[in-house]
Amino acid sequence: MKLSFSAEDEAFREELIAFIEANCPAAGYSSGDFIGTEVSDGDGIMVIPDWAREWQAALFDNGWMIPAYGPELGGRNATPTQTLIYLEELASRGIPRSVHFVGYAIAGPSLLEFGNPDQRALAPAAIRGDTVWCAGMSEPGAGSDLANISTRAVDEGDHFKVNGQKVWTSYAMLASKCLCYVRTDPDVPKHRGISALIIDMDTPGIEVRPLRHITGQAEFAEVFFTDVLVPKRNLVGEQGDGWRITMGALAHERGGLWVEGVAGCQRSIDDILTMIKSRGRDQDKVVRRRVAELYSQVRGLRALGYKGFASFAQGTSAPEHSFMKVATSELHQTLIELAMDLQGAGLAVTDRAVAESKGRWQQSFFTGLAATIGGGTSEVQRNVIAQRVLGLPRGR
Amino acid sequence: MDFTLSDEQEMVRDTARELFTKECTIDFVRSAWKQPTLAVGLFDRHLSDWLELASADAVDLMLFALEHGRAIAPGPFFASLLAAQVASATGRDLSGSASVAVSGSDGTWTPNEDATKHFVPSAADVDEILVVSGSPDAPRLALVAQAEVALTEVEQMDRLRCQYRVDTSGVAAGESIDPAAWRHALERSLVACSAELIGVGRWLLDASVDYAKERVQFDRPIGSFQGLQWMLVDAALELERAAAAVSYAAMCIDADDSDRHRAVHGAKAEAGLAARACARTGMQVHGGIGYTFEHGLHYWLRRAYAGDAFMGPSSHHHDCLAELLFDT
Repeated sequence: MKLSFSAEDEAFREELIAFIEANCPAAGYSSGDFIGTEVSDGDGIMVIPDWAREWQAALFDNGWMIPAYGPELGGRNATPTQTLIYLEELASRGIPRSVHFVGYAIAGPSLLEFGNPDQRALAPAAIRGDTVWCAGMSEPGAGSDLANISTRAVDEGDHFKVNGQKVWTSYAMLASKCLCYVRTDPDVPKHRGISALIIDMDTPGIEVRPLRHITGQAEFAEVFFTDVLVPKRNLVGEQGDGWRITMGALAHERGGLWVEGVAGCQRSIDDILTMIKSRGRDQDKVVRRRVAELYSQVRGLRALGYKGFASFAQGTSAPEHSFMKVATSELHQTLIELAMDLQGAGLAVTDRAVAESKGRWQQSFFTGLAATIGGGTSEVQRNVIAQRVLGLPRGR
Repeated sequence: MDFTLSDEQEMVRDTARELFTKECTIDFVRSAWKQPTLAVGLFDRHLSDWLELASADAVDLMLFALEHGRAIAPGPFFASLLAAQVASATGRDLSGSASVAVSGSDGTWTPNEDATKHFVPSAADVDEILVVSGSPDAPRLALVAQAEVALTEVEQMDRLRCQYRVDTSGVAAGESIDPAAWRHALERSLVACSAELIGVGRWLLDASVDYAKERVQFDRPIGSFQGLQWMLVDAALELERAAAAVSYAAMCIDADDSDRHRAVHGAKAEAGLAARACARTGMQVHGGIGYTFEHGLHYWLRRAYAGDAFMGPSSHHHDCLAELLFDT
């Protein structure tokens, strides 16, 4: 156990920082929430800004997009420790790699792992951001119970005919391709009857309806499929492999998925400290003690992430990481509520002209609500921890 | 920050675990509760050599203290380990077991001029007492034989580690010591106490999870009920977070990192609160059986609460951290 990494790894860090400082556009330092900021036009409909396209391409071309991959895939064959350093340096500056994560984090890696040669050839453009992807996963009847999807793909010889509905589909209105999970066999146990298809979003029969969420933005959409014909060659892996494919995706970075959650909490506690001083509350004993308590929790979670990473890097399971999603999302909500409470009656003010920090906390409050729901609710996370980490028996 | 244990660190952990598994069984703990002199024997026969940890890396100290807490080891070793920290940082030599008399009535280790020192651990069972007085910026130290001070036992919940009120009015003023050396000893001692609390919490959590798997009600193990699962998950989360914070604090001390002052106060507060959470949850999960004296869960519960209070409760360490965050 020691505080610093090897000299070689610290040199990697220096090179990365130099690249960021020389190349990252000012807009890249969004220092807000990592994904999904600065991508909306005035009406709240999402567009990808030019700086974000250029930044993602520059990362790819210089081997800084997914460092663990080889240069042909936007990387530099980095080690797990170097990947962790990479994620931390970006997250601590609030710099996103991409404003649409599906292509580089889900579609690209899944095609590389499970696709045939033609499909694998789609990966570089997905990772570089040249092709925008969405992932057809959740449905009205398949949220936490993802394996319950009912979008049906019927085998009609040289193609599948797809009918059904997806929901919470990020970036669907911008995407040219969808990695879509469909039910190809309704007669086997539900995890086994799922397949993954690549669906071109301009195929007749697809309707995308933006889904405005409570912040007013429309990053998600509902996607309706009506008699959509998908060529057989667009099947990824074998029929029935779909569930396995949903479990894949960017294994190289699994040891660092927690970094962003911790960085968000760290930014918030730093901003809270500044706000308390500027509002002259820094001698209030109750405030001081509460902030110190939460500060300790943020620092503890950061250390816990690193502790789990040590297991991950040695190839063993990292039970610590199971805690990180639920812990960082809930702690962040607590921090945001404290920040709003410190504003007194101003807690409900969203007028940017008068609200504390231009309404940053009220904005974060709304986006923060999604963190304990999306990507596995806190309740599902707790069930998983109880069973897989603590080894408690399944309930009924 | 690299949490990978070196071979030497693994050896410290494994040796400690074997030692306590063999020499400090639950039966031994039960006997020591009734007959405290047994714990002095544990120190003399098996633990006194480990006082050398006082000059080892803080990470080694932490690994050993954690196993000590897991085994709920009784007796004068822990007080002696803290005394050895102070002695090592200030260039004194101890002849054997010892304790530290510094606390005022608030329990914090803030050097002060009161002749009466409170919460002095294991004072009746040690050879020497290190009396620390003065102020944090100008601390003084006197090393005296235990017989030179007057002790009054103050009954408290953790009888496996008794605490005493010590009248030091007959002790000479002591020599000035370097405030930085005192601070260093204080911080290493806080790491040791925090690590012990993590070990206490670890035992409580493991015992509770095991019990929840075995205990059947309504025809199934109670550990299959979601309400109980989530209680255990929340306790486990607090414990894991605190354990990582304590390791981080130890690493910061070894690297002489500027974050170490913040890290040790955060670690002690986190560890105390986590151990208490594991104790509360453990008691609830065990139900009636855990409430019996016979079962023994209460030894760890007592140490969790007494350990949180020792060297100042969590609220004190939050206040110390707030000072570092707001006033410097």
